[in-house]
Amino acid sequence: MAVIDIVIVLVFLGLTFVVGSFFYKWVGDPDDFMVAGRKLTPFILAAVIAATNVNLYSFIGQAGVAYKHGIAILWQTWTGNMAIVFSGLFIIPIMRRLRVKTIPEFLERRYDKRVRTLVGVLWIFRLAFWLGVVLYTAVVAAQAITGIESFAFWIFVFAIVAIVYTVLGGMWAIAFTDVIQFVFMLVGALIVLPMAMAAVGWMPGLIDKLPEHALTLVREEGTYNWKFILAIFLLGIQWASVDQGLLQRAFGAESTRTVAKGLVLAGIITTPFALLWNLPGLAAAVLYPGLENADQAIPILLADMLPSVVLGLVLCGLISSQLSTISGNLNGVATLFTNDIYESLRSRKATNKEVLMIARIMTGIVGIFMIGFAFLVPMLGGAVEAYLTVIGIMDMPLFIVAIVYGLLWKRATSTAALVGYLSGAAAGIIGKFFLGFDFNSTTFLGAAVALIVTPLVSMITKPESIEKLAIVWRAKTISDEEETSGDVYHIIPKTLKGRLAMTVFASGFILFLIGVFMGSGGFAMASWIAVIGMVIYFVGGLIRVYAE
Amino acid sequence: MYFDWITWSIWSLGFIILVMWIVIPLKEFFKLKKDRDEDS
Repeated sequence: MAVIDIVIVLVFLGLTFVVGSFFYKWVGDPDDFMVAGRKLTPFILAAVIAATNVNLYSFIGQAGVAYKHGIAILWQTWTGNMAIVFSGLFIIPIMRRLRVKTIPEFLERRYDKRVRTLVGVLWIFRLAFWLGVVLYTAVVAAQAITGIESFAFWIFVFAIVAIVYTVLGGMWAIAFTDVIQFVFMLVGALIVLPMAMAAVGWMPGLIDKLPEHALTLVREEGTYNWKFILAIFLLGIQWASVDQGLLQRAFGAESTRTVAKGLVLAGIITTPFALLWNLPGLAAAVLYPGLENADQAIPILLADMLPSVVLGLVLCGLISSQLSTISGNLNGVATLFTNDIYESLRSRKATNKEVLMIARIMTGIVGIFMIGFAFLVPMLGGAVEAYLTVIGIMDMPLFIVAIVYGLLWKRATSTAALVGYLSGAAAGIIGKFFLGFDFNSTTFLGAAVALIVTPLVSMITKPESIEKLAIVWRAKTISDEEETSGDVYHIIPKTLKGRLAMTVFASGFILFLIGVFMGSGGFAMASWIAVIGMVIYFVGGLIRVYAE
Repeated sequence: MYFDWITWSIWSLGFIILVMWIVIPLKEFFKLKKDRDEDS
Protein backbone atom coordinates (compact mmCIF):
# COMPACT_ATOMS: atom_id res chain seq x y z
CA MET A 1 0.00 0.00 0.00
CA ALA A 2 1.40 3.39 -1.02
CA VAL A 3 2.13 6.27 1.39
CA ILE A 4 -0.58 8.37 -0.29
CA ASP A 5 -3.23 5.76 0.68
CA ILE A 6 -2.11 5.83 4.31
CA VAL A 7 -2.23 9.65 4.22
CA ILE A 8 -5.81 9.47 2.82
CA VAL A 9 -6.84 7.14 5.65
CA LEU A 10 -5.26 9.36 8.32
CA VAL A 11 -6.88 12.49 6.81
CA PHE A 12 -10.23 10.68 6.81
CA LEU A 13 -9.80 9.70 10.48
CA GLY A 14 -8.86 13.32 11.28
CA LEU A 15 -11.95 14.58 9.42
CA THR A 16 -14.18 12.16 11.35
CA PHE A 17 -12.60 13.38 14.58
CA VAL A 18 -13.14 17.07 13.70
CA VAL A 19 -16.75 16.58 12.53
CA GLY A 20 -17.60 14.47 15.58
CA SER A 21 -16.06 16.96 18.00
CA PHE A 22 -17.91 19.88 16.32
CA PHE A 23 -21.11 18.60 17.94
CA TYR A 24 -19.75 19.13 21.48
CA LYS A 25 -21.62 22.43 21.68
CA TRP A 26 -24.86 20.77 20.54
CA VAL A 27 -24.93 18.61 23.68
CA GLY A 28 -26.68 20.48 26.46
CA ASP A 29 -28.47 17.70 28.33
CA PRO A 30 -28.56 13.87 28.61
CA ASP A 31 -31.22 13.59 25.87
CA ASP A 32 -28.87 15.38 23.44
CA PHE A 33 -26.08 12.96 24.36
CA MET A 34 -28.13 9.76 24.29
CA VAL A 35 -30.79 10.34 21.62
CA ALA A 36 -29.66 13.53 19.79
CA GLY A 37 -32.36 15.57 21.54
CA ARG A 38 -34.89 13.38 19.64
CA LYS A 39 -34.50 15.63 16.62
CA LEU A 40 -33.14 13.30 13.92
CA THR A 41 -34.93 13.65 10.58
CA PRO A 42 -35.92 10.69 8.32
CA PHE A 43 -32.94 10.80 5.91
CA ILE A 44 -30.36 11.29 8.66
CA LEU A 45 -31.97 8.49 10.67
CA ALA A 46 -31.95 6.20 7.60
CA ALA A 47 -28.23 6.82 6.99
CA VAL A 48 -27.51 6.25 10.67
CA ILE A 49 -29.42 2.95 10.76
CA ALA A 50 -27.88 1.81 7.45
CA ALA A 51 -24.38 2.61 8.75
CA THR A 52 -25.11 0.57 11.89
CA ASN A 53 -26.48 -2.28 9.80
CA VAL A 54 -23.43 -2.44 7.52
CA ASN A 55 -20.01 -3.27 8.96
CA LEU A 56 -16.79 -4.99 7.95
CA TYR A 57 -18.56 -8.33 8.20
CA SER A 58 -20.75 -7.21 5.29
CA PHE A 59 -17.84 -6.18 3.06
CA ILE A 60 -15.43 -8.97 3.92
CA GLY A 61 -17.27 -11.78 5.76
CA GLN A 62 -20.51 -11.79 3.77
CA ALA A 63 -18.73 -11.26 0.45
CA GLY A 64 -16.50 -14.16 1.52
CA VAL A 65 -19.58 -16.35 1.97
CA ALA A 66 -20.77 -15.27 -1.49
CA TYR A 67 -17.34 -16.32 -2.78
CA LYS A 68 -17.70 -19.76 -1.20
CA HIS A 69 -21.44 -20.52 -1.27
CA GLY A 70 -22.95 -18.16 -3.83
CA ILE A 71 -25.39 -15.27 -3.96
CA ALA A 72 -27.99 -16.81 -1.56
CA ILE A 73 -26.16 -15.14 1.39
CA LEU A 74 -27.74 -11.88 0.16
CA TRP A 75 -30.85 -12.93 2.08
CA GLN A 76 -29.02 -12.34 5.35
CA THR A 77 -29.01 -8.61 4.58
CA TRP A 78 -32.28 -8.53 2.63
CA THR A 79 -34.36 -10.30 5.30
CA GLY A 80 -32.63 -8.07 7.90
CA ASN A 81 -33.84 -5.08 5.87
CA MET A 82 -37.35 -6.54 5.69
CA ALA A 83 -37.22 -6.97 9.47
CA ILE A 84 -36.13 -3.34 9.94
CA VAL A 85 -39.11 -2.22 7.84
CA PHE A 86 -41.48 -4.48 9.83
CA SER A 87 -40.13 -3.26 13.15
CA GLY A 88 -40.21 0.36 11.95
CA LEU A 89 -43.87 0.10 10.95
CA PHE A 90 -45.21 -1.86 13.91
CA ILE A 91 -42.89 -2.07 16.94
CA ILE A 92 -40.39 0.77 17.38
CA PRO A 93 -43.02 3.55 17.02
CA ILE A 94 -44.58 2.21 20.26
CA MET A 95 -41.22 2.50 22.08
CA ARG A 96 -40.65 5.99 20.67
CA ARG A 97 -44.06 7.07 22.01
CA LEU A 98 -43.05 5.92 25.50
CA ARG A 99 -39.94 8.16 25.16
CA VAL A 100 -37.65 5.43 26.50
CA LYS A 101 -33.92 5.43 25.73
CA THR A 102 -33.27 1.71 26.23
CA ILE A 103 -35.11 -1.63 26.09
CA PRO A 104 -34.49 -2.18 29.85
CA GLU A 105 -36.27 1.16 30.48
CA PHE A 106 -39.24 -0.14 28.49
CA LEU A 107 -39.13 -3.34 30.58
CA GLU A 108 -39.57 -1.33 33.78
CA ARG A 109 -42.52 0.55 32.26
CA ARG A 110 -44.15 -2.74 31.27
CA TYR A 111 -42.95 -5.01 34.11
CA ASP A 112 -40.79 -3.85 37.05
CA LYS A 113 -37.35 -2.67 38.14
CA ARG A 114 -35.99 -6.23 38.63
CA VAL A 115 -36.48 -7.05 34.95
CA ARG A 116 -34.94 -3.71 33.94
CA THR A 117 -31.84 -4.16 36.11
CA LEU A 118 -31.22 -7.79 35.10
CA VAL A 119 -31.48 -7.11 31.36
CA GLY A 120 -29.57 -3.80 31.72
CA VAL A 121 -26.57 -5.47 33.43
CA LEU A 122 -26.49 -8.32 30.89
CA TRP A 123 -26.63 -5.87 27.98
CA ILE A 124 -23.76 -3.79 29.38
CA PHE A 125 -21.50 -6.87 29.43
CA ARG A 126 -22.77 -7.97 26.05
CA LEU A 127 -22.08 -4.65 24.33
CA ALA A 128 -18.74 -4.03 26.08
CA PHE A 129 -17.37 -7.39 24.94
CA TRP A 130 -18.85 -6.97 21.48
CA LEU A 131 -17.03 -3.64 21.22
CA GLY A 132 -13.72 -5.41 21.82
CA VAL A 133 -14.50 -7.89 19.05
CA VAL A 134 -15.50 -5.11 16.62
CA LEU A 135 -12.33 -3.13 17.37
CA TYR A 136 -10.21 -6.25 16.97
CA THR A 137 -11.80 -6.99 13.56
CA ALA A 138 -11.14 -3.43 12.37
CA VAL A 139 -7.50 -3.67 13.44
CA VAL A 140 -6.93 -7.03 11.73
CA ALA A 141 -8.43 -5.72 8.47
CA ALA A 142 -6.37 -2.50 8.61
CA GLN A 143 -3.20 -4.54 9.24
CA ALA A 144 -3.90 -6.85 6.29
CA ILE A 145 -4.75 -4.11 3.80
CA THR A 146 -2.24 -1.39 4.75
CA GLY A 147 0.70 -3.60 5.60
CA ILE A 148 1.25 -1.63 8.84
CA GLU A 149 1.58 -4.56 11.22
CA SER A 150 1.51 -2.78 14.60
CA PHE A 151 -1.56 -4.04 16.48
CA ALA A 152 -1.27 -1.34 19.16
CA PHE A 153 -0.98 1.47 16.56
CA TRP A 154 -4.30 0.60 14.89
CA ILE A 155 -6.09 -0.09 18.17
CA PHE A 156 -5.19 3.35 19.48
CA VAL A 157 -5.93 5.13 16.18
CA PHE A 158 -9.43 3.61 15.91
CA ALA A 159 -10.27 3.69 19.60
CA ILE A 160 -9.09 7.23 20.29
CA VAL A 161 -10.93 8.72 17.30
CA ALA A 162 -14.17 6.90 18.20
CA ILE A 163 -13.94 7.49 21.98
CA VAL A 164 -13.14 11.21 21.73
CA TYR A 165 -15.88 12.15 19.30
CA THR A 166 -18.46 9.99 21.12
CA VAL A 167 -17.53 11.46 24.54
CA LEU A 168 -17.73 15.01 23.18
CA GLY A 169 -20.65 14.95 20.79
CA GLY A 170 -22.69 11.90 21.93
CA MET A 171 -25.49 10.80 19.60
CA TRP A 172 -25.33 14.07 17.61
CA ALA A 173 -21.71 13.30 16.67
CA ILE A 174 -22.55 9.66 15.98
CA ALA A 175 -25.45 10.60 13.71
CA PHE A 176 -23.50 12.99 11.49
CA THR A 177 -20.30 10.94 11.38
CA ASP A 178 -22.52 7.96 10.47
CA VAL A 179 -23.89 9.96 7.52
CA ILE A 180 -20.32 10.73 6.33
CA GLN A 181 -19.27 7.13 6.92
CA PHE A 182 -22.30 5.84 5.00
CA VAL A 183 -21.26 8.02 2.04
CA PHE A 184 -17.69 6.68 2.17
CA MET A 185 -18.92 3.07 2.34
CA LEU A 186 -21.12 3.66 -0.70
CA VAL A 187 -18.29 5.38 -2.64
CA GLY A 188 -16.00 2.44 -1.87
CA ALA A 189 -18.59 -0.10 -3.03
CA LEU A 190 -19.39 1.92 -6.20
CA ILE A 191 -15.71 1.96 -7.15
CA VAL A 192 -15.17 -1.76 -6.60
CA LEU A 193 -18.30 -3.14 -8.36
CA PRO A 194 -17.61 -2.13 -12.01
CA MET A 195 -13.90 -2.96 -11.73
CA ALA A 196 -14.61 -6.45 -10.39
CA MET A 197 -17.39 -7.09 -12.93
CA ALA A 198 -15.30 -5.86 -15.88
CA ALA A 199 -12.52 -8.25 -14.85
CA VAL A 200 -14.83 -11.28 -15.16
CA GLY A 201 -16.51 -10.20 -18.40
CA TRP A 202 -19.49 -8.47 -16.76
CA MET A 203 -22.70 -10.37 -15.92
CA PRO A 204 -22.58 -12.81 -18.90
CA GLY A 205 -19.02 -13.74 -17.90
CA LEU A 206 -20.09 -14.32 -14.32
CA ILE A 207 -23.06 -16.48 -15.38
CA ASP A 208 -20.85 -18.41 -17.76
CA LYS A 209 -18.01 -19.08 -15.32
CA LEU A 210 -19.88 -19.84 -12.08
CA PRO A 211 -21.89 -23.00 -11.33
CA GLU A 212 -25.68 -22.49 -11.53
CA HIS A 213 -26.27 -22.85 -7.78
CA ALA A 214 -23.88 -19.94 -7.06
CA LEU A 215 -26.32 -17.58 -8.77
CA THR A 216 -29.53 -19.10 -7.37
CA LEU A 217 -31.08 -16.91 -4.70
CA VAL A 218 -33.58 -19.40 -3.24
CA ARG A 219 -31.91 -22.78 -3.10
CA GLU A 220 -33.39 -26.20 -2.42
CA GLU A 221 -30.17 -27.58 -0.90
CA GLY A 222 -26.96 -26.32 0.65
CA THR A 223 -26.09 -24.35 3.78
CA TYR A 224 -27.89 -21.20 2.62
CA ASN A 225 -31.11 -22.87 1.42
CA TRP A 226 -34.79 -21.82 1.74
CA LYS A 227 -34.92 -22.84 5.43
CA PHE A 228 -32.03 -20.49 6.14
CA ILE A 229 -34.05 -17.62 4.60
CA LEU A 230 -37.02 -18.26 6.92
CA ALA A 231 -34.83 -18.71 10.03
CA ILE A 232 -32.76 -15.60 9.37
CA PHE A 233 -35.92 -13.56 8.73
CA LEU A 234 -37.34 -14.54 12.15
CA LEU A 235 -34.02 -13.78 13.83
CA GLY A 236 -33.97 -10.46 11.96
CA ILE A 237 -37.36 -9.45 13.42
CA GLN A 238 -36.04 -10.23 16.89
CA TRP A 239 -32.81 -8.27 16.23
CA ALA A 240 -34.61 -5.25 14.80
CA SER A 241 -36.93 -5.16 17.83
CA VAL A 242 -34.50 -5.40 20.76
CA ASP A 243 -30.97 -4.46 19.63
CA GLN A 244 -29.81 -1.52 21.75
CA GLY A 245 -27.38 -0.15 19.11
CA LEU A 246 -30.16 0.01 16.51
CA LEU A 247 -32.98 1.10 18.79
CA GLN A 248 -31.11 3.91 20.49
CA ARG A 249 -30.52 5.56 17.12
CA ALA A 250 -34.18 5.08 16.25
CA PHE A 251 -35.23 6.69 19.55
CA GLY A 252 -33.41 9.82 18.36
CA ALA A 253 -36.11 10.40 15.72
CA GLU A 254 -37.94 13.74 15.89
CA SER A 255 -41.39 12.08 15.91
CA THR A 256 -43.16 8.72 15.85
CA ARG A 257 -43.77 9.06 12.12
CA THR A 258 -40.07 9.85 11.56
CA VAL A 259 -39.13 6.55 13.23
CA ALA A 260 -41.29 4.68 10.75
CA LYS A 261 -40.04 6.73 7.76
CA GLY A 262 -36.37 6.47 8.78
CA LEU A 263 -36.48 2.72 9.32
CA VAL A 264 -38.39 2.01 6.10
CA LEU A 265 -35.88 4.13 4.15
CA ALA A 266 -32.93 2.43 5.91
CA GLY A 267 -34.25 -1.02 4.97
CA ILE A 268 -34.78 -0.01 1.36
CA ILE A 269 -31.43 1.72 0.72
CA THR A 270 -29.37 -1.13 2.16
CA THR A 271 -31.03 -3.59 -0.26
CA PRO A 272 -29.30 -2.56 -3.55
CA PHE A 273 -26.24 -1.63 -1.45
CA ALA A 274 -25.92 -5.33 -0.46
CA LEU A 275 -25.53 -6.26 -4.15
CA LEU A 276 -22.63 -3.80 -4.40
CA TRP A 277 -20.54 -5.81 -1.95
CA ASN A 278 -21.78 -9.35 -2.72
CA LEU A 279 -21.27 -9.26 -6.51
CA PRO A 280 -17.52 -8.54 -6.08
CA GLY A 281 -17.46 -11.62 -3.81
CA LEU A 282 -18.83 -13.68 -6.73
CA ALA A 283 -16.36 -12.06 -9.13
CA ALA A 284 -13.53 -13.03 -6.75
CA ALA A 285 -14.72 -16.67 -7.00
CA VAL A 286 -14.00 -16.50 -10.74
CA LEU A 287 -10.76 -14.52 -10.45
CA TYR A 288 -9.16 -16.26 -7.47
CA PRO A 289 -10.67 -19.75 -7.17
CA GLY A 290 -9.61 -22.15 -4.44
CA LEU A 291 -8.70 -19.73 -1.64
CA GLU A 292 -8.51 -21.61 1.65
CA ASN A 293 -9.88 -18.70 3.65
CA ALA A 294 -12.86 -17.12 1.88
CA ASP A 295 -12.52 -13.98 4.04
CA GLN A 296 -9.37 -13.19 2.08
CA ALA A 297 -11.29 -12.94 -1.22
CA ILE A 298 -12.16 -9.23 -0.99
CA PRO A 299 -8.83 -8.01 0.54
CA ILE A 300 -6.98 -9.87 -2.26
CA LEU A 301 -9.31 -8.42 -4.92
CA LEU A 302 -8.82 -4.89 -3.54
CA ALA A 303 -5.05 -5.14 -3.27
CA ASP A 304 -4.85 -6.66 -6.76
CA MET A 305 -7.19 -4.33 -8.65
CA LEU A 306 -7.27 -0.91 -7.11
CA PRO A 307 -4.66 1.70 -7.95
CA SER A 308 -3.23 4.04 -5.30
CA VAL A 309 -5.55 6.79 -4.04
CA VAL A 310 -8.59 4.69 -5.05
CA LEU A 311 -7.44 1.99 -2.61
CA GLY A 312 -7.12 4.67 0.09
CA LEU A 313 -10.71 5.84 -0.56
CA VAL A 314 -12.09 2.29 -0.50
CA LEU A 315 -10.20 1.62 2.72
CA CYS A 316 -11.84 4.71 4.26
CA GLY A 317 -15.20 3.11 3.38
CA LEU A 318 -14.22 -0.12 5.11
CA ILE A 319 -12.96 1.72 8.21
CA SER A 320 -16.15 3.80 8.24
CA SER A 321 -18.29 0.72 8.55
CA GLN A 322 -16.46 -0.28 11.71
CA LEU A 323 -16.15 3.18 13.30
CA SER A 324 -19.92 3.71 13.13
CA THR A 325 -20.48 0.39 14.92
CA ILE A 326 -17.90 1.22 17.61
CA SER A 327 -19.22 4.72 18.34
CA GLY A 328 -22.86 3.58 18.45
CA ASN A 329 -22.17 0.72 20.85
CA LEU A 330 -19.98 2.94 23.07
CA ASN A 331 -22.85 5.36 23.39
CA GLY A 332 -25.23 2.42 23.93
CA VAL A 333 -23.29 1.07 26.92
CA ALA A 334 -22.93 4.55 28.45
CA THR A 335 -26.69 5.07 28.06
CA LEU A 336 -27.54 1.66 29.54
CA PHE A 337 -25.33 2.28 32.57
CA THR A 338 -26.45 5.84 33.20
CA ASN A 339 -30.11 5.28 32.43
CA ASP A 340 -30.75 1.80 33.82
CA ILE A 341 -28.19 1.31 36.58
CA TYR A 342 -26.85 4.64 37.89
CA GLU A 343 -30.16 6.49 38.03
CA SER A 344 -32.00 3.59 39.64
CA LEU A 345 -29.31 3.21 42.34
CA ARG A 346 -29.63 6.82 43.47
CA SER A 347 -32.02 7.77 46.25
CA ARG A 348 -32.69 11.23 44.75
CA LYS A 349 -33.16 12.11 41.11
CA ALA A 350 -29.85 13.06 39.51
CA THR A 351 -29.57 16.47 37.85
CA ASN A 352 -29.20 16.73 34.07
CA LYS A 353 -25.63 18.00 34.45
CA GLU A 354 -24.73 15.05 36.67
CA VAL A 355 -26.29 12.47 34.32
CA LEU A 356 -24.50 13.99 31.31
CA MET A 357 -21.18 13.93 33.15
CA ILE A 358 -21.67 10.28 34.18
CA ALA A 359 -22.62 9.31 30.61
CA ARG A 360 -19.44 10.95 29.27
CA ILE A 361 -17.24 9.37 31.95
CA MET A 362 -18.84 5.97 31.26
CA THR A 363 -18.19 6.34 27.53
CA GLY A 364 -14.50 6.91 28.32
CA ILE A 365 -14.33 4.00 30.78
CA VAL A 366 -16.09 1.61 28.40
CA GLY A 367 -13.72 2.78 25.67
CA ILE A 368 -10.76 1.75 27.86
CA PHE A 369 -12.40 -1.64 28.53
CA MET A 370 -12.95 -2.00 24.78
CA ILE A 371 -9.21 -1.53 24.17
CA GLY A 372 -8.48 -4.12 26.89
CA PHE A 373 -10.96 -6.62 25.40
CA ALA A 374 -9.52 -6.08 21.92
CA PHE A 375 -6.07 -7.08 23.22
CA LEU A 376 -7.66 -10.14 24.88
CA VAL A 377 -9.60 -11.37 21.83
CA PRO A 378 -6.65 -13.11 20.09
CA MET A 379 -5.86 -14.97 23.32
CA LEU A 380 -9.45 -16.11 23.90
CA GLY A 381 -9.81 -17.99 20.60
CA GLY A 382 -12.80 -20.33 20.80
CA ALA A 383 -14.05 -18.62 23.93
CA VAL A 384 -15.05 -15.60 21.87
CA GLU A 385 -17.23 -17.74 19.62
CA ALA A 386 -18.77 -19.43 22.65
CA TYR A 387 -19.42 -16.09 24.30
CA LEU A 388 -21.09 -14.70 21.17
CA THR A 389 -23.22 -17.84 20.94
CA VAL A 390 -24.39 -17.33 24.53
CA ILE A 391 -25.21 -13.72 23.65
CA GLY A 392 -27.23 -14.92 20.66
CA ILE A 393 -29.05 -17.36 22.92
CA MET A 394 -30.02 -14.54 25.30
CA ASP A 395 -31.63 -12.34 22.65
CA MET A 396 -34.53 -14.54 21.56
CA PRO A 397 -36.01 -14.97 25.08
CA LEU A 398 -35.72 -11.18 25.50
CA PHE A 399 -37.74 -10.69 22.29
CA ILE A 400 -40.42 -13.12 23.55
CA VAL A 401 -40.68 -11.47 26.95
CA ALA A 402 -40.36 -7.81 25.90
CA ILE A 403 -42.14 -7.71 22.55
CA VAL A 404 -44.38 -10.78 22.12
CA TYR A 405 -45.82 -10.93 25.65
CA GLY A 406 -44.88 -7.38 26.69
CA LEU A 407 -46.89 -5.75 23.90
CA LEU A 408 -49.50 -8.36 23.06
CA TRP A 409 -50.62 -9.96 26.33
CA LYS A 410 -51.69 -7.87 29.33
CA ARG A 411 -51.73 -10.85 31.70
CA ALA A 412 -47.92 -11.38 31.41
CA THR A 413 -46.43 -10.54 34.83
CA SER A 414 -43.04 -9.24 35.98
CA THR A 415 -42.07 -12.46 37.78
CA ALA A 416 -43.12 -14.47 34.72
CA ALA A 417 -41.01 -12.19 32.49
CA LEU A 418 -38.00 -12.73 34.76
CA VAL A 419 -38.47 -16.51 34.97
CA GLY A 420 -39.38 -16.81 31.27
CA TYR A 421 -36.30 -14.85 30.21
CA LEU A 422 -33.88 -16.75 32.45
CA SER A 423 -35.35 -20.19 31.64
CA GLY A 424 -35.27 -19.45 27.88
CA ALA A 425 -31.62 -18.40 28.11
CA ALA A 426 -30.79 -21.44 30.29
CA ALA A 427 -32.50 -23.80 27.80
CA GLY A 428 -30.48 -22.27 24.98
CA ILE A 429 -27.23 -22.76 26.88
CA ILE A 430 -28.13 -26.40 27.68
CA GLY A 431 -29.09 -27.02 24.04
CA LYS A 432 -25.84 -25.57 22.74
CA PHE A 433 -23.28 -26.81 25.25
CA PHE A 434 -24.79 -30.04 26.60
CA LEU A 435 -26.99 -31.35 23.78
CA GLY A 436 -24.78 -30.17 20.89
CA PHE A 437 -27.56 -28.32 19.01
CA ASP A 438 -26.60 -26.05 16.11
CA PHE A 439 -27.18 -22.29 16.35
CA ASN A 440 -30.65 -22.27 14.74
CA SER A 441 -32.01 -25.15 16.88
CA THR A 442 -30.52 -23.59 20.04
CA THR A 443 -32.13 -20.24 19.34
CA PHE A 444 -35.53 -21.80 18.67
CA LEU A 445 -35.29 -24.00 21.79
CA GLY A 446 -34.66 -20.87 23.93
CA ALA A 447 -37.59 -19.13 22.27
CA ALA A 448 -39.93 -22.11 22.76
CA VAL A 449 -39.09 -22.41 26.47
CA ALA A 450 -39.63 -18.66 27.03
CA LEU A 451 -42.90 -18.88 25.06
CA ILE A 452 -44.19 -21.72 27.28
CA VAL A 453 -42.80 -20.72 30.70
CA THR A 454 -43.86 -17.04 30.65
CA PRO A 455 -47.65 -17.67 30.39
CA LEU A 456 -47.50 -20.60 32.84
CA VAL A 457 -45.82 -18.47 35.53
CA SER A 458 -48.09 -15.51 34.67
CA MET A 459 -51.19 -17.56 35.51
CA ILE A 460 -49.97 -18.28 39.04
CA THR A 461 -48.66 -14.77 39.83
CA LYS A 462 -50.40 -11.48 40.56
CA PRO A 463 -51.43 -9.46 37.47
CA GLU A 464 -49.71 -6.10 36.80
CA SER A 465 -51.52 -2.92 37.78
CA ILE A 466 -54.12 -1.66 35.31
CA GLU A 467 -52.65 1.89 35.39
CA LYS A 468 -49.19 0.67 34.37
CA LEU A 469 -50.57 -1.42 31.52
CA ALA A 470 -52.78 1.44 30.36
CA ILE A 471 -49.68 3.60 29.67
CA VAL A 472 -48.06 0.93 27.49
CA TRP A 473 -51.31 0.04 25.70
CA ARG A 474 -52.06 3.72 24.97
CA ALA A 475 -48.65 3.97 23.27
CA LYS A 476 -49.92 1.51 20.68
CA THR A 477 -52.31 4.13 19.39
CA ILE A 478 -51.16 7.65 20.29
CA SER A 479 -48.80 9.78 22.39
CA ASP A 480 -49.18 13.20 24.04
CA GLU A 481 -46.77 14.64 21.45
CA GLU A 482 -48.92 13.40 18.57
CA GLU A 483 -52.13 14.54 20.27
CA THR A 484 -50.71 18.06 20.62
CA SER A 485 -49.25 18.26 17.11
CA GLY A 486 -52.19 16.50 15.42
CA ASP A 487 -49.72 14.38 13.38
CA VAL A 488 -50.72 10.89 14.50
CA TYR A 489 -48.99 7.82 13.07
CA HIS A 490 -51.55 5.01 13.04
CA ILE A 491 -49.91 1.60 13.34
CA ILE A 492 -53.12 0.12 11.95
CA PRO A 493 -53.94 2.64 9.19
CA LYS A 494 -57.22 4.53 9.29
CA THR A 495 -57.31 6.03 5.79
CA LEU A 496 -58.09 4.26 2.50
CA LYS A 497 -54.60 5.09 1.16
CA GLY A 498 -53.01 3.68 4.30
CA ARG A 499 -55.09 0.50 4.09
CA LEU A 500 -54.27 0.03 0.42
CA ALA A 501 -50.58 0.45 1.23
CA MET A 502 -50.89 -2.16 3.97
CA THR A 503 -52.57 -4.52 1.50
CA VAL A 504 -49.67 -4.05 -0.92
CA PHE A 505 -47.22 -4.62 1.95
CA ALA A 506 -48.99 -7.82 3.08
CA SER A 507 -49.30 -9.09 -0.52
CA GLY A 508 -45.58 -8.57 -1.01
CA PHE A 509 -44.86 -10.54 2.14
CA ILE A 510 -47.12 -13.42 1.05
CA LEU A 511 -45.48 -13.47 -2.40
CA PHE A 512 -42.04 -13.51 -0.75
CA LEU A 513 -43.09 -16.52 1.37
CA ILE A 514 -44.54 -18.30 -1.69
CA GLY A 515 -41.23 -17.78 -3.50
CA VAL A 516 -39.24 -19.14 -0.55
CA PHE A 517 -41.49 -22.21 -0.19
CA MET A 518 -41.34 -22.82 -3.96
CA GLY A 519 -37.56 -22.84 -3.56
CA SER A 520 -37.95 -25.91 -1.33
CA GLY A 521 -39.20 -27.77 -4.43
CA GLY A 522 -36.45 -26.43 -6.67
CA PHE A 523 -38.81 -24.39 -8.93
CA ALA A 524 -36.90 -22.25 -11.42
CA MET A 525 -39.02 -19.14 -10.82
CA ALA A 526 -38.79 -19.31 -7.00
CA SER A 527 -35.96 -16.74 -6.70
CA TRP A 528 -37.74 -14.23 -8.94
CA ILE A 529 -41.03 -14.60 -7.05
CA ALA A 530 -39.31 -14.12 -3.67
CA VAL A 531 -37.41 -11.03 -4.90
CA ILE A 532 -40.53 -9.51 -6.51
CA GLY A 533 -42.40 -10.19 -3.26
CA MET A 534 -39.67 -8.40 -1.30
CA VAL A 535 -39.77 -5.38 -3.64
CA ILE A 536 -43.59 -5.15 -3.33
CA TYR A 537 -43.21 -5.44 0.47
CA PHE A 538 -40.80 -2.46 0.46
CA VAL A 539 -43.01 -0.42 -1.89
CA GLY A 540 -46.03 -1.08 0.37
CA GLY A 541 -44.02 0.02 3.42
CA LEU A 542 -42.81 3.17 1.67
CA ILE A 543 -46.30 4.18 0.52
CA ARG A 544 -47.58 3.39 4.00
CA VAL A 545 -45.29 5.92 5.72
CA TYR A 546 -45.26 8.63 3.05
CA ALA A 547 -48.71 8.62 1.47
CA GLU A 548 -51.02 8.56 4.47
CA MET B 1 -18.41 -2.23 -26.73
CA TYR B 2 -20.55 -4.38 -24.45
CA PHE B 3 -22.82 -2.54 -22.03
CA ASP B 4 -23.90 -4.57 -18.99
CA TRP B 5 -27.38 -3.30 -18.13
CA ILE B 6 -27.67 -5.35 -14.96
CA THR B 7 -24.41 -4.19 -13.37
CA TRP B 8 -24.87 -0.56 -14.38
CA SER B 9 -28.51 -0.55 -13.19
CA ILE B 10 -27.38 -1.73 -9.75
CA TRP B 11 -24.54 0.81 -9.86
CA SER B 12 -26.95 3.62 -10.85
CA LEU B 13 -29.28 2.78 -7.99
CA GLY B 14 -26.31 3.00 -5.62
CA PHE B 15 -25.23 6.29 -7.22
CA ILE B 16 -28.71 7.81 -6.83
CA ILE B 17 -28.72 6.78 -3.16
CA LEU B 18 -25.24 8.33 -2.79
CA VAL B 19 -26.31 11.69 -4.26
CA MET B 20 -29.55 11.75 -2.24
CA TRP B 21 -27.69 10.93 0.96
CA ILE B 22 -25.20 13.73 0.40
CA VAL B 23 -27.70 16.42 -0.54
CA ILE B 24 -30.62 15.77 1.83
CA PRO B 25 -28.67 15.26 5.11
CA LEU B 26 -26.62 18.41 4.28
CA LYS B 27 -29.86 20.38 3.86
CA GLU B 28 -31.24 18.88 7.06
CA PHE B 29 -28.02 19.70 8.92
CA PHE B 30 -28.19 23.37 7.92
CA LYS B 31 -31.86 23.50 8.88
CA LEU B 32 -31.12 21.98 12.29
CA LYS B 33 -28.21 24.43 12.73
CA LYS B 34 -30.42 27.37 11.79
CA ASP B 35 -33.10 26.24 14.27
CA ARG B 36 -30.50 25.91 17.03
CA ASP B 37 -29.01 29.33 16.26
CA GLU B 38 -32.48 30.89 16.35
CA ASP B 39 -33.30 29.14 19.64
CA SER B 40 -30.16 30.43 21.27
